[in-house]
Amino acid sequence: MTPRIDISVKLAVVLLLWVCAFAFSWMYQALLCLVVIAVRFTIPAFRPQSQRSARAFSRFLLYSAAVAFLVLLLNSLLIRGGTSYGTILGFALYEEGLLFGLRTASRLLLLTYAVLLFFISSPLKDLIRFLQTRGLSPSFTLILLLTLHFLDHLPARIHQIFLAQQARGAPVDAGVLARSRALLSLLSPLVLSSIVESIDRGTALELRGFLNRRTNCEASIPSGEGWNFLTILILILSMVILILTIFRWLPG
Amino acid sequence: MAARIELNSLTLRYAMASTPAVSGLSCTIPQGSCVGVVGPTGAGKTTLLHSLAGILGKHHPELMVSGNVSIGDESFGGISREILFPRVGLVLQDPSVQISGVRDTVFEEVLFTLENVGAVGDDSDSRIQLILRQLGIEHLAHRKPTSLSGGETQRVALATILVARPEVLLLDEPISALDATAQARLRSILLHLRGTTTVLVTDTQIDFPLSVCDRILALDHGRAVVFAEPQQLLSNDQSLPMIGGWQRWRDIARELEGRSDSSHRDTTRILKAIHLA
Repeated sequence: MTPRIDISVKLAVVLLLWVCAFAFSWMYQALLCLVVIAVRFTIPAFRPQSQRSARAFSRFLLYSAAVAFLVLLLNSLLIRGGTSYGTILGFALYEEGLLFGLRTASRLLLLTYAVLLFFISSPLKDLIRFLQTRGLSPSFTLILLLTLHFLDHLPARIHQIFLAQQARGAPVDAGVLARSRALLSLLSPLVLSSIVESIDRGTALELRGFLNRRTNCEASIPSGEGWNFLTILILILSMVILILTIFRWLPG
Repeated sequence: MAARIELNSLTLRYAMASTPAVSGLSCTIPQGSCVGVVGPTGAGKTTLLHSLAGILGKHHPELMVSGNVSIGDESFGGISREILFPRVGLVLQDPSVQISGVRDTVFEEVLFTLENVGAVGDDSDSRIQLILRQLGIEHLAHRKPTSLSGGETQRVALATILVARPEVLLLDEPISALDATAQARLRSILLHLRGTTTVLVTDTQIDFPLSVCDRILALDHGRAVVFAEPQQLLSNDQSLPMIGGWQRWRDIARELEGRSDSSHRDTTRILKAIHLA
C-alpha cells in the first residue's frame, strides 16, 4: 500500500516550488527541477498512483522539456545584447537572450513539474475532500470535479473519436495536410461530446444533492481538521522566501 | 413513505419552441404505484420526469409553465424550481454519469449520497448494506464504481438514489442499455419497491412497463394519449401506433381473449406471466 501524506502537505510543497520558481536564479530552479524528478522516484508518497500516471508523468516531462528548449532557443536568438556566442543557421546567439531564455525555461519547467508531481501522486477524491473540509463552495468543487474528470478521460475520448472518424473514412492517418484538415472532424465531436457529458454529469451530481452538501454535510464530514505541522512549516518557509524576494535579499 | 403525484393541466413550453414539450397533462398517480410513461422520441417523457425532479424548473427559469404539480401534500403552483432530492430521486438515461468518480468503492459511492443529504449516522453502514443486498450488488461493495458493466452500473446508480429513501423514484429509459438478464433483475427490483415508493419508468417500447407497471401513461407530442391499466390499454379499441410494441401485445391479448379458458380479467396476468418467463 502506498504511504500517504496529508494532501495539504503536497499542496504546500507545490506552493513552495512555485515561490522558488519566481524567487531564485535559473541555476537553483534547474536544480529544483532535478530534485522534483528525484522525489517522484524516491519518496513513496509522491510516486504515481498507477502505470497510467507514471506514463503521463514521463510524457509530460518530455513535452515540457521540449517546450523549454524551444523557449530557450527563441529567446537567445531574438533578444540581442551582450557577448555573441556564435551563430545558428546564420542567426547570432547573444548572452542576454540566452540568460533570459534560461530563466524563463527553467521557471516554466519548475512550475510544470511541481503541478505534475502533485497530480500524479494525489487521488482526486482526496483533493476534493480536502477542499470541501476547508470550506470550498460545492459549486466550485463541482466545476473542479468536472474539469478534472474531463482531463482524465480526454485521451480515451480522443482515441474513441479518432477510431470513429477513421471508420467513416476521414483521413486521420494520412499526410500532414490531410491530417490538419481532418483535425476539425476530431475537434468538433470532442468539444460537443465533452460539453454534453459535463452537463449530464453536473446534473447527475445535483440530483444527488451535491450542491446542498455544505449545509447538509456539516455533521457528517469532519470540517476544519487541524492543520498539519509540516504544512504550516512549508507555508512559513514559502512566506519567508517570498518576503526576502520582495525586499531583494535573495539573489534573483 | 411513498407520495401521490397529481398533475393538473400541466403545460411546459421552452422559450424558443413553437410547440409545448408537455401539453395539458392531467393525471393522478396513486402513492406506491408504478407508472410506465411510454411514447416515441420527443413525446415529452424526459421533460416530464425532469420537471418532477425539479431539475427542469431550476435549469430553465425561462420555461413557460401553466397548470400545477403536487407531490404528496406539497403543491408547487406550477413546477418545482428547486431540486427535490431526496424526496424525489431521478436516475438518468445514462447511469454512468451518475457515478461521481470521487470515491474508490461502490460502498463509498453510495455513502457519498448520504453525505450530500446530511444523513450519515450510526446506521449508515447497515443502510447501505441493505440497499446493496436488495439490489443484488453486495458483492460489488468493494469494487471500483467506474470499472463495472452496464447492468451493474445501472444498479449502483439506483442504489445511490434509493439509499436516500425517496418517496418518488423516476427512471428515465432504464433498460435502453440493459441485456435480458439485467432487465429481469431491474423488473424484480421495481416489483419489490411496489407499495413503498411511487415509481415512474419511461420507455419507447411498451414491453418492459407492461410487465412491471400498474398503469401506463402514453404520451405523443407532449399530450397524454391514454392513461390506463395494462388490461384496459390492451383491450382498448383506440389505435395507439405511437407506442412501440403495442400492436403485438394487443394481438396476443385478443388471441387470449378469444380462448374459452381465458377471461378478459386474466389477460394481463397471462401476458405478464408470458413476459416474465
